[in-house]
Amino acid sequence: MKSSRVLQKTWNVLLNHSTLVLFVVVFIIFGLSSPRFFTLENITNFVKQAAFTGIIAVGMTFVLLTAGIDLSVGSNMYLSSVISGLLMRSIGLDVLPALLVALVVGTLFGAVNAFSVVYLRITPFMATLATLVIGRGIGTALTESRQIDLPERMATFGQAHLLGIPMPIIAFLIVVSTAYFVLTRLPIGRQIYAVGNDRDAAEKAGINSKRVIFSVYLISGFCAALAGFILASQVIRVDRSFAEGREFDAIAAAVLGGVSLFGGVGNVIGALVGAVLIQMVQTGLQFNQVNLYLQPMVRALIILMTVFFDSLREAQAEKLRRRFIRPLDGDKTEVHKAPVVPSQANT
Amino acid sequence: MSVVLHTNKLSKAFFGVPAVQDVSISVEAGQILGLVGQNGAGKSTLMNLIGGVVHADSGTMSLHGQPYQPRNPADAFRAGIAFIHQELNLFTNLSIAENIFIESFPTQRRGPFRLIDRSAVHQRTEALLAQVGLALPPNLTIDRISPGERQLVEIAKALHIDASLFILDEPTTSLTNRETERLFALMKQLQAQGKALIYISHILNDVLALADSIAVMRDGQLITQEPVQNFDVGRMISLMVGRSIDHLYPERTSQPSSEILLDVQGVTADGIVKDIALRVHQGEIVGLFGLMGSGRTELARILFGVDGFESGQVILDKRRFTVSVPRESIRSGVAFVTENRREEGLLMDISIHENVALVALPQFCHTPLQIVDQDAAYSSVRQTLNALQLKSGDIRKQPVRSLSGGNQQKVVIAKWLLSKPKLFIMDEPTRGIDVEAKFEIYTIMDQLAGSGSGILFISSELEELMGMCDRIVVMSRGEIVGEFARQAFDAKAILHAAFREGEALT
Amino acid sequence: MKTRPLQSLLRRLLISEYFVLYLTIVMFTGAALIFPQVGLSNTLGLPFNISNQFLNMWPLLAVAVGQTFVLIVGGIDLSQGSIMAITSVVGAMVMSSALDPAMFDRSPFWGTLMRPEGGVLSGSPLAAPVGVLLMLALGIGIGFFNGFVITRFRIAPFMATLVSMIFFSALALWITQSRNIPSLPEDFIRLGTGDIVSVYLGEKTESTIPRREIFSAIAYPTVIAFALAIFGSFLLNRTALGRHMFAIGTNRRSAHISGVPTNRVIILVYMFSGFCAAVSAILYSARLGIGQPSLGNNLLLDIVGAVVIGGTSLFGGKGSIKGTVFGVAFFVLLLNVLNAARLSPFIIDAVKGGIILLAALLDVTRTRLVGQEGQL
Repeated sequence: MKSSRVLQKTWNVLLNHSTLVLFVVVFIIFGLSSPRFFTLENITNFVKQAAFTGIIAVGMTFVLLTAGIDLSVGSNMYLSSVISGLLMRSIGLDVLPALLVALVVGTLFGAVNAFSVVYLRITPFMATLATLVIGRGIGTALTESRQIDLPERMATFGQAHLLGIPMPIIAFLIVVSTAYFVLTRLPIGRQIYAVGNDRDAAEKAGINSKRVIFSVYLISGFCAALAGFILASQVIRVDRSFAEGREFDAIAAAVLGGVSLFGGVGNVIGALVGAVLIQMVQTGLQFNQVNLYLQPMVRALIILMTVFFDSLREAQAEKLRRRFIRPLDGDKTEVHKAPVVPSQANT
Repeated sequence: MSVVLHTNKLSKAFFGVPAVQDVSISVEAGQILGLVGQNGAGKSTLMNLIGGVVHADSGTMSLHGQPYQPRNPADAFRAGIAFIHQELNLFTNLSIAENIFIESFPTQRRGPFRLIDRSAVHQRTEALLAQVGLALPPNLTIDRISPGERQLVEIAKALHIDASLFILDEPTTSLTNRETERLFALMKQLQAQGKALIYISHILNDVLALADSIAVMRDGQLITQEPVQNFDVGRMISLMVGRSIDHLYPERTSQPSSEILLDVQGVTADGIVKDIALRVHQGEIVGLFGLMGSGRTELARILFGVDGFESGQVILDKRRFTVSVPRESIRSGVAFVTENRREEGLLMDISIHENVALVALPQFCHTPLQIVDQDAAYSSVRQTLNALQLKSGDIRKQPVRSLSGGNQQKVVIAKWLLSKPKLFIMDEPTRGIDVEAKFEIYTIMDQLAGSGSGILFISSELEELMGMCDRIVVMSRGEIVGEFARQAFDAKAILHAAFREGEALT
Repeated sequence: MKTRPLQSLLRRLLISEYFVLYLTIVMFTGAALIFPQVGLSNTLGLPFNISNQFLNMWPLLAVAVGQTFVLIVGGIDLSQGSIMAITSVVGAMVMSSALDPAMFDRSPFWGTLMRPEGGVLSGSPLAAPVGVLLMLALGIGIGFFNGFVITRFRIAPFMATLVSMIFFSALALWITQSRNIPSLPEDFIRLGTGDIVSVYLGEKTESTIPRREIFSAIAYPTVIAFALAIFGSFLLNRTALGRHMFAIGTNRRSAHISGVPTNRVIILVYMFSGFCAAVSAILYSARLGIGQPSLGNNLLLDIVGAVVIGGTSLFGGKGSIKGTVFGVAFFVLLLNVLNAARLSPFIIDAVKGGIILLAALLDVTRTRLVGQEGQL
């Protein structure tokens, strides 16, 4: 009896932290298969590579929390990098002003999404699918579909360290901690959760839900531009397929981290773990020299596994919610037996 | 006494159909205004106008003598109007405290970021919860508490804004009697503090007991607003209906037979219901009474195969019946009128015809490809709806959403009738519908019983169970705790049974 | 008051299910006047040109019919593009009659399923029929997997089909090492281009007028895509399955309690979606004469866009095949017009996105207008 209860409890704990468990398991497996995997250098490396996925995943988390979706982040990364890259090449813009330009472009891109969703009342899926195509179309038209090679100082920026920590990781940590702070400690953060849970109720409670929803798309646009810039500083060029399909990585990372597609559930720490997990799998597969073609397939399976665990967890929670007979405090006896009132059925 | 809110000839039409017409009411400080009327009489629209949810086409409002023109709920909120809606407006993913302060978190004075002042939120929530009599920790999330408790949180939320006018739209539908009493005491307390209250309810006795004055609405118009002394239940009803109604319940026209239709033996679902033994005979209406959380709805869901159970068995019409999925239950001749029409009973955006035909669809399909015989389906649907006297436009075009609550409920009943069930499980079939429609539903129930069907009638309104049932079974905390035959109906004894455990434990 | 009749006409027009058709006709005539190369003079003269206009329509229509089904039950199928890729590749791999070792020797199936002399059915007269059946079965199988995961594990359709999308497009690339598979049998290729009339009346060479040019408006792809659309429309409007689909899309819980076998219906719908994607893959592959691992890449927007333009709601419970046919026609003609205007492909992409945005906006407006009608 007792051991089965312990087993049940352990299972529940594992289930509730399935992503973390998966994280550890994957980490150990890769570590065992290739000892070099455990080196600080390697770990730093894949966290660094996870940075840009993580940053868009944070932006995506904001959007998903309001029960929206932003499919345009890949295009946004591309377009903002194209514009800042073109300016760097043509008028020799310095790195930081270029970053600023990229962020402005990205936020404006987000504003277009926000406007379509909030004021034109177009479904987020359609609105951002459309801007996905538009964004990449404009980007390719601007570059005439040629690759932009970024200047040397961009590479220097990409390789920069602060206190021995690579720049992308610092940016990632700043974004995650700011987002965490906003979501948990600022009124707007809690209102994002409220709107995602029930928009009508939020309106009736006096929350300006239009403003809330508008702001999450701005945030997502900002994060996309930042991530795009960081990615550009790593690869030092922007070509036609730059950041293509990254929106799915961001969504996957967020969902891996426990963010619900239906709004109101999840946090940015989860998105961080999800992003690092995805990148770790990628790096691990490269380490083990797994065929390049197989890597996306493994990634798909990891996502499948996580959503599967998520559904198990949800089923468990559902079961618990249905058990409404709550044990009362101090009431040690079982539910009383036998009715006091005499039965008077007419049969 | 000073007038808090006054409306002057307010009118509002939706797409040309007037919902509220030239309504002038006023509420004074320290007074409770009872607002009654049938569904669709315009009560909710009037309150939505006051609460800033919708905007008036014409007419004006004044608050404390000042012109008042809310553009949105937030405006009303800031003007000191607390609106407790009929349906709950809580965020199930947030804590009690966050729900209360979601729109106006107290923030820290120091620091550049205006962080939420968590300790202030916590303390103030505790004080508010104490006021409404809820002993729950402020950081508990809403999805962990019962519907009654949620309603009280709504009220605590209204208290915190220090409103001068409280609007309560049917606040007691999900409250236990004890919680209802607590709420009424609180309302009296607010009244004593000089607040104005508008109280909307279908339970006319409550309105009589609480209100200082009563306003009656019918067809979007204010019929009268008078001091409470001028009213009794009969007068209120006849004003609401526009004519006098003699009976609330139809005379039962048939006797149950001794043939057992449904025999539930020792059904147990862990943590939900325990050791349920229950019988329904042919032609019998069995009432299932219990407080919120007693397990009555859960039992109904188990019997219909929506949820599972661990042990025990169900025998329907002398055959062991493996309850698995609704589809199987329907085939075995069971119908289930769910308690919430919107979420589980109807397809709101789809036509009346489609809704009614849905359950019995297999009847109209014969070929292997399951082609629907549309004419046969239509004529059956038409026939059933005629029998139920449903008033509507083209049933193939009109969506169910556009019908009134009572007519929606008729559509639900019609769709089950079409599958010719032996056993009807009806969970709160008259909730939120008006007096006339209720009477019609009761009549249908009597006819069903007369034709030999058994009915398991679940309700939290004891009065209607006593009016309609041959037998009442009482549940409490997942168990059956009492059973009363019609000749032994006694409201006190039944309530005593339903409350037994609560009393023993507090 | 004077504007009333005009307003109500406009409103009626917007609500009409033929709105997109009217729009298509207006656009086509307008464009014909501006760009003579798509214009009436040519088109009226030669039916061939009209059929050319529609060349891209048939495969898109096939796959869009499946997506319409999925959207009606309130789901979404992101994996259709990948299903097209994998079925195209697998079908071609089986049917191909010659494979270049230099290109495919790194494929995991080299030496087993893929040999220099072609696939397993290389040269066999059964190659085309078996290949086609295999492709359809594969599409249905992946659809079943999607539906099973969605219903059994209660995973959001978006996530479940996202997984399939990533997995199967990677699989298609892996099998072929990113290369197109050539040398498909003639019988198969005819499915993409052959015209039915010449099939029945003998070869066109006997005639002085090339019959093909006259009658190719009813070529195989036309017939297949229309047959699929008519079948889909029939399922949707005449059968219990169709009623059940609308019920599920409107309110799944309500449908479940009303005895609708929700899980079974949803699985069937995803299987049908996979089937349609496979049909589309057959039409494309046959026309191109190759198995293409990148087939269906970036097609998601076209598919969902065309379906939504046709009035199917992304929220479920609303939609029609007729609408989808109009939506696809509109979309394809629009692309032709843009091409005729000699815009750069990138600008065309951007315009396409803009059109989708407008279509979605139209949907929102229309829903609001219909909602108002309902209130009356």
